[in-house]
Amino acid sequence: MKKDYKMIVLFILPCVITLLVMYAYPVVRTFLMSFFSMPNITAPVGEWEFAGFGKYEKIFTSTTFIRSIQNMLMIWIFGGIITLALALLFAVILTSGIRFKKFFRAAIYMPNVISAVALATMWIQYIFNQQYGMLNSLIKFFNGTPINWLATDMKFWAMLGSFIFGAVGYYMLIFISGIEKIPQDLYEAATIDGASKIQQAFKITFPLLKGVTKTNLTFWTINTATFYLWSKMFSPVDTEASVVVPVMYLYDTAFPSRGSTGADPGAAAAVGIVLALIILAVYLLMNKVIKDDEVEL
Amino acid sequence: MGFRNKEKIPAHRINWKKEATMLPGYIILLVWLGFTAAFLLWILGASLSTTPEIMQGKVFKFETGLHFENYALAWSQQNVARYFANSLLYSVAGCFFTIVISAPASYVLSRYKFICNKIIKSSLIIAMSVPAVMIVLPIYAITASWRNAPDRLIFTVLMIFFRVPYTTVYLLNFFATLSRSYEEAAAIDGCSPAGTFWRIMFPLVQPALVTVTIFNFLGIWNEFFMALIFASSQSVAPVGVGLLQIVNSMRYTGQYGALFAAVIIVFLPTFLLYIFLSEKIIAGVTGGGVKG
Repeated sequence: MKKDYKMIVLFILPCVITLLVMYAYPVVRTFLMSFFSMPNITAPVGEWEFAGFGKYEKIFTSTTFIRSIQNMLMIWIFGGIITLALALLFAVILTSGIRFKKFFRAAIYMPNVISAVALATMWIQYIFNQQYGMLNSLIKFFNGTPINWLATDMKFWAMLGSFIFGAVGYYMLIFISGIEKIPQDLYEAATIDGASKIQQAFKITFPLLKGVTKTNLTFWTINTATFYLWSKMFSPVDTEASVVVPVMYLYDTAFPSRGSTGADPGAAAAVGIVLALIILAVYLLMNKVIKDDEVEL
Repeated sequence: MGFRNKEKIPAHRINWKKEATMLPGYIILLVWLGFTAAFLLWILGASLSTTPEIMQGKVFKFETGLHFENYALAWSQQNVARYFANSLLYSVAGCFFTIVISAPASYVLSRYKFICNKIIKSSLIIAMSVPAVMIVLPIYAITASWRNAPDRLIFTVLMIFFRVPYTTVYLLNFFATLSRSYEEAAAIDGCSPAGTFWRIMFPLVQPALVTVTIFNFLGIWNEFFMALIFASSQSVAPVGVGLLQIVNSMRYTGQYGALFAAVIIVFLPTFLLYIFLSEKIIAGVTGGGVKG
């Protein structure tokens, strides 16, 4: 047994070290940083100056941060409704006994697997291109006036649209797994009673998908709170207010671009804490509001 | 992708009435799929065209032939070869060492009772959901003090650490379902507990190891936020950050053909992986019970 004990320690130690070095220590330090002023990220703790809630005050009075929160909320609400609705639509179609189900499912999920930077580049450099882009070619084909999709007032929606295209597949898979757990005899009974496919969707499928909807909403919230890549791709050099999101504000505050001196690691840490609290709050709220108590699937 | 339709039935047995009620469904799926295929094909066409052809919207005419030199240009002059090699290094080394750390830990966590077992398991689950923004600032401070360590090593280590909680938690259920009789038989034959793990138990969970490694590979290959902070200089950047740099330098170079060739080169490895492994990947997304 003593030999076993030695093995247990040896086997678990690298994993515990990972947890401490990569997660426990950084989380605690980020939390502490959010209450201090410091000249740069690498400054030793000795040079930190206590700032109380000053950093939180600073970010919540920053117009860029407020704008980033507004953008995040818009992504969460509009993006969430469209993504989850499309995902549910595809899931219902794919589980209705359609042919080539596996092929369609794999094709819709595909953007989740390929490099998002490559995908975003395809959208920006081709689909939204003003001169030879797909959308404007279509508009010209129907004799419309071409739109500058990447102009300031359209950019946010262009970004959201392309992000949704890539995101739908993941949520669709979760919905499909939920639908496939619903017993088939419910549908057979409904069909015998003369219910149409659409009635079946509204009366059987949707009510029984509460549990997976909760999962999807939680993932969507995390996805939105940590949204970064698409904003960066749509404003690659200088951050633009139209697409700024909190993580981008955090990055710019912690690592200001060359020349500028405004690094404020404390404020960046405060942004991180705010985002973590948002995720935690939504997670707790989801578990309270949507209970999958009635039917355990 | 599932090109083979397993439920294929002879044509004369197709229930046309049933298929007709699903027509709207087919139309919606085909529109989505057609759009995806159209823009992927266009990108492929553009990667073989000259910049003026792209600008004039003459991508599929190939009037001046197929310009494979775009790929050569992207690969050597625009540094894609370097980014590609970096990504390959991060992904392969990351996947390997993640398993070396996670598999033994997962094994003892699922099969031995000891103090802290529960605490470690819950810590791993919490660690999985900690967003990167909560940890990057202190990690940057730590790694800044190791500035003489090569950047590639630092980023590889970070990627390993980043994948360990997910990998360990993913493997827990698979180790837990193995029969005790393997260990008992090995002990009777005089095999040490550690030997039993590496020689008998580890190979038994091979299917789970393959699935989790696919997800780790995709995760590291596509990592962007951490890469931008820890591996953004030209010599150590992975493909994602590298592609961003190519896009940013476009306004000076104006080589659109080469840009689209670079996009295809970055896109292709994970796309090919997906074509062969889509069933396994899709089963892993929902089957493992945890998110990648």
